[in-house]
Amino acid sequence: MSGGDPARAGNIVPFAPPRARRLRAPLLVLLWWLLGIEALGGLLIFFMRLAAGAMPGETIHVIAGVGLTLAYVVYQVQHWGRVAPWRGRLDYALGLIGAIAMGLTLATGYVLAWPWWRVRILARAHDPIAYSSFVSGAHNIMSMLVLTFVLAHLAAVLLRERAGRR
Amino acid sequence: MNIPPFSVFSAISELFVTAGVFYVIRRNWTRQPFPFALFLTVSLFEALVNVMYMANRSAAASVPGTKEALSTGMKLAYAGHGLLSLVAYLVFVVLGVLAYQEQKAGRWFFRERPALTWTFLVIWVISIGSGEAIFTLRYLV
Repeated sequence: MSGGDPARAGNIVPFAPPRARRLRAPLLVLLWWLLGIEALGGLLIFFMRLAAGAMPGETIHVIAGVGLTLAYVVYQVQHWGRVAPWRGRLDYALGLIGAIAMGLTLATGYVLAWPWWRVRILARAHDPIAYSSFVSGAHNIMSMLVLTFVLAHLAAVLLRERAGRR
Repeated sequence: MNIPPFSVFSAISELFVTAGVFYVIRRNWTRQPFPFALFLTVSLFEALVNVMYMANRSAAASVPGTKEALSTGMKLAYAGHGLLSLVAYLVFVVLGVLAYQEQKAGRWFFRERPALTWTFLVIWVISIGSGEAIFTLRYLV
């Protein structure tokens, strides 16, 4: 006892619900950071490309995109291993849409990164890159769908859990 | 000036989508069952048709040497409208999902959060209004 409170044994850790622990897992935190960097960087590029014809942070966007791909693949494999099999519920549907949108975002991102790689890395040139407007538009909308459905999925899961506790 | 048919379609359909958004919120506000099918239809249509169209137009307008010669003000308007549309769409879907889940537990999400609801509606109206204004300035004036 110390100051009226029972002393905690060294091998006892405070209880944290499994969800709270999972939300603080290093891989998920890394994924949120990469997603945040990509989202903010993407919005900046979207705005500046249109308003000023510039693409600030294009290289960081590509490199963080590669990191995001790796982190997302590992996370999604683990996540599906935990939540499988499929259930006909809103949180599952939103998660599936989010996953499809993420796959398409990354795929269109790599299509856009190809001319960037040829011009900036192979040719070491600073010329404007002729990105496909269709792929660029698809990448923008898919990115926004990722954010939309990931947040909606998370909201649905947390609300469902809160309702279950009541 | 020759107006692209899809621009006309998008400008008109945005008004119907806005009506759908207001209807979804009004139902919740008046404590009536959440129209999930309409919410889903409006969300998917807005994403796959209107936001996709806006993203494509923005991407096309920013290609170096594009045929579309835009003034700096119009470029800023395009960029601002594009960002706002994307954010407004994201917020609508997330709030709709929350409202749907809350209603299953007997709570009325929008009714119980008037400040959030009105803020969202103002943002949505600005987003749609700016798109209609750009369409008018670009093609009709």
